[in-house]
Amino acid sequence: MREAGLALPILIPLVAGILVLLIPDKLRRAKETIAVLASLANLIIAVRLFGKGVFFSLPWAGFGIDFSLNLDRLSSFILLAVSTFGFLIAVYSCSFMRRRNCLRQFYCYYLVCLSFVCGAVLSNNLLLMLFFWEGMLGVIFGMIAIGNKDAFRTALKAFIIIAIADLCLMLGIALTGYLSSTFEISKIRLPLTPLAGVAFVFLMIGAISKSGAMPFHTWIPDAATDAPLPFMAFLPGALEKLLGIYFLVRISTQMFDLVPDSKLSFILMGIGAITIICAVMMALIQKDYKRLLSYHAISQVGYMILGIGTAVPVGIIGGLFHMLNNAMYKSCLFLTGGAVEKQAGTTDLEKLGGLARKMPVTFACFLVAAVSISGVPPFNGFFSKELVYDAALERGFIFYAAALLGSFFTAASFLKLGHAAYFGKKRQENEQVKEASWPMLIPMIVIAAGCVLFGVFNGLPLNKLIQPALSAKLGGHDYSGFPANIWLIVITVIVLIAALINHLFGVKINGSGLKAVDHIHYAPGLKKIYDLAEKRYFDPYDIGLKVVGVFSSIFFRFDRAIDWIYNNLSVKAAYSASESLRRMHNGNYVVYLGWSLLGLVFMIIFLVSTK
Amino acid sequence: MLGANLILAIIFIPVLGAFFLPLIGRFSSRLRNLISLLLVVISLVLSCKLASIVLSGATITIIKHFPLGLNFTLTADCLAVFMAITSSFIGAVILLYSFGYISHYENQSEYYLLVVLFLGSMMGIIFSQNLIFLYLFWELTAVVSWRLIGFFRKPLDILRADKAFLITVFGALVMLLGFISLYQEVGSFDLTVIREVLQSRPLSNITVLLILFGIFAKSATLPLHTWLPDAGVAPSPVTALLHAAVLVKIGVYVYARIFIASLNIEQIWHIIIPALACLSAIVSGFAALVETDLKRIIAYSTVSQIGFIFFGFSIGNEFGVAGGLLYILMHGLAKAGLFLCAGIVEQNTKIKDVTKLGGLIKTMPFTAIAFLFCSLSVMGVPPFGGFFSKFLLFLSTAKNGQWGLTFAFLAAAVLTVLYLLRAFNLVFLGEEKSEAKEGSPIMVFSVVLLALLSLAGGVLIKYPLDFVISAVKQMLGVA
Repeated sequence: MREAGLALPILIPLVAGILVLLIPDKLRRAKETIAVLASLANLIIAVRLFGKGVFFSLPWAGFGIDFSLNLDRLSSFILLAVSTFGFLIAVYSCSFMRRRNCLRQFYCYYLVCLSFVCGAVLSNNLLLMLFFWEGMLGVIFGMIAIGNKDAFRTALKAFIIIAIADLCLMLGIALTGYLSSTFEISKIRLPLTPLAGVAFVFLMIGAISKSGAMPFHTWIPDAATDAPLPFMAFLPGALEKLLGIYFLVRISTQMFDLVPDSKLSFILMGIGAITIICAVMMALIQKDYKRLLSYHAISQVGYMILGIGTAVPVGIIGGLFHMLNNAMYKSCLFLTGGAVEKQAGTTDLEKLGGLARKMPVTFACFLVAAVSISGVPPFNGFFSKELVYDAALERGFIFYAAALLGSFFTAASFLKLGHAAYFGKKRQENEQVKEASWPMLIPMIVIAAGCVLFGVFNGLPLNKLIQPALSAKLGGHDYSGFPANIWLIVITVIVLIAALINHLFGVKINGSGLKAVDHIHYAPGLKKIYDLAEKRYFDPYDIGLKVVGVFSSIFFRFDRAIDWIYNNLSVKAAYSASESLRRMHNGNYVVYLGWSLLGLVFMIIFLVSTK
Repeated sequence: MLGANLILAIIFIPVLGAFFLPLIGRFSSRLRNLISLLLVVISLVLSCKLASIVLSGATITIIKHFPLGLNFTLTADCLAVFMAITSSFIGAVILLYSFGYISHYENQSEYYLLVVLFLGSMMGIIFSQNLIFLYLFWELTAVVSWRLIGFFRKPLDILRADKAFLITVFGALVMLLGFISLYQEVGSFDLTVIREVLQSRPLSNITVLLILFGIFAKSATLPLHTWLPDAGVAPSPVTALLHAAVLVKIGVYVYARIFIASLNIEQIWHIIIPALACLSAIVSGFAALVETDLKRIIAYSTVSQIGFIFFGFSIGNEFGVAGGLLYILMHGLAKAGLFLCAGIVEQNTKIKDVTKLGGLIKTMPFTAIAFLFCSLSVMGVPPFGGFFSKFLLFLSTAKNGQWGLTFAFLAAAVLTVLYLLRAFNLVFLGEEKSEAKEGSPIMVFSVVLLALLSLAGGVLIKYPLDFVISAVKQMLGVA
């Protein structure tokens, strides 16, 4: 019976989600209770399942498509992380969503989403995984659409972008399944032949788009302003990253053998590096708490992809560790953003200021998470970034430089954010602001404490969670403890100090914390690029829609032209043919006689020639 | 003998029963409606009964020998029964919806007669194993659909009905030529006989071309597709019946019957037809993005999805055929749902132009949700049924290894997402631009039923897929 228990993390939230949908609107408490209890049950099961190897399979459909689940070290680690975040954010939502509409929908989507993520992580059949993976599409659409009145536009954008990536993933899975003639993930081992390379690229598109890397990212900042905040903390902040990176690790270390110095490895590293730089540059100039964070949610993925793309063990470990750390500090940051939104009524940095005194606990959590994301020792972000740096330096200086530059801007933008929101001038409107309620604070505190714990005792996550999952690749090497290369640490610290100096310099010449990076924003050359980016000239989604628009008008004309042949040409041809025939039948005896004679001649010729 | 009687009953109960409907309508319209539904449901139930026989691997055949190769042959195999269940089921739901929809209009007796007759002749096509009888039923559907498309009798409607009629009948005549040329090769119209004679050698190309012409005209494939969007002037249940569920699937079915289950064709067709299908899918997909009339958008979408089905069938490996068959079922359910939702919207707002609609999710929540579910199924998003059919097609392209086609197919799949979302967005989201109320209970019930079945088709994929797999095994002759 223990095998069937593997389906529980999928079933419990799903059933709870449907239950929530059936409860009438008046019973708010009941919905919250169900959501919290279901996610708690999920967490307990995940803890109990942790580290075990369980396999469960049911026949589902033909063609090798089975309902098979497999729990190994990697998936049990991801499952644990997913359930933990699921539970904490459910607790947080109870308070955050209290006075909102659409509660029923929110909790239903939330739980269904949790169920699907667990399903995708546990699936041992590629098609089953795709079923859960792509199934989230509808849920994400709904979740964003209930945000505010105009949120449906963002929801559409998210839907289209994710759907395109998922279709690519579908093609990739079909190819992989065909090449290895099985859909069982645990049985697939493909050498990277050219065709397998194509399959890998399509699977990779699915994986990195789920984790929100460029160029599949542009719905995330829009969702940050429109969707309910727990959604941001939950999905783009934590779960999608976990899922996307999980799958990337699966394909690059297990299903395919990605080796250093292969083209695919360079492609992955390139995507990682570009994502780091571009997204962090955009984050730097944002003037909205949530939007700024959402760009970081994109930028941080770059580190993970860069780490895994290096295809050396230290990089993969770093990428996975960074994924875990990022999920922690990023969801914590989003949760502080939500607390600020709830208490101060806005996330516009122009209208915020001096909140550190009003909301000390929130501020403390923010501080911990911010130094973690900036990579300040000894917080968790520092250690994972060092591992990634190490691997990047091994593969090429340019990637290392990109990662460092990203670090500099990350630190700079968090100095700006912290300064503008929590210090600076106190505003009239902010006089009445109070600290957030406990259900909101507890998840933040827990996660922030985790950031410190996983930093100071980094052996704990590395030895217990991550390295066992990849033991086959490591060959007994242990990456916990302080980084071996002292020069890397020195350079990191120098970069962080440079960011601090830059901030102080910026505050001095530009006047306030909010404007601390204006000298970069309005620097010659950069300003123009920023202006265009802000006007969305670089948004692949908008560009794509324009291209589709052009094509559709061309093909529509083509279609109309075909229709014109039926409506006009064929009708005219028929008319003119019958008209000319009519003219010949004008009642003139001589003409008719002529026709008859002509016919007779033809008949004679025909008869003679066939004889 | 039970099986043979079942086949005859499935075809002739609706075909003959239909003519009594106007008579019954004189006494009681309610009774007429119920009996028309009953006729279709009998077909459905009997088809299900047949399913239990053919799924065990048996094939039921009735032969009445006639000279000149005109044997009257009816055959029930997995393919035929699958198709019969699909179309009679969707037909029954559409009839149910008609109770609400058509009650506002005149000539109801004629409507029910035509619809039931249509479904009956569809059954005739499905079970006919003789090309001439197939042709007769085929033309019967053309005549009936001509009358149904022009049901509202306005000048434009009649013009459009004529157009549809002319194109499909022209196609059918060309197909008849193809049948005759086949007869010259083999000396029989009976597919079972033809199959024996042509066991090893492929069919001559000119015959294939002629037959394909008719099939493409009926199944609205580029360049013979433009009658289909134009036929959107018909009452909504009729468009659902013709465009989505039944009429356009005739061509696809006959393709499967003749070219996959019975005869061999030359290899070149396995490249030409998928390419044409992809082109058709892409062109109509783009056209659906520009179109502003809701029913025309959905009609273009049908053209596009039919392209997918042809694509799978013409690639011809086991995944492609299975995907195509599953697609017939899933697309039929979802597309019928979309057309019926469009009918509710149109009837309650009196507006067809999507740019003048908006925000209807507040006033018609059930219709909106049903529309969304059906769209998701057509797009191929799990957990809806369309997901599996699309995936099988991807699998068949992967096995086929023609990369150009694969990417064209991917592009068409992306377009599907775009135009359906666009339509949903314009009609149901955003500002409310017009007064509206939810449709009548029976109409809403039918669309919700179709939407839920699309969902169930995905979750309980085992049952349809098992059926499809046994059909594929029978068609391709693999154990």
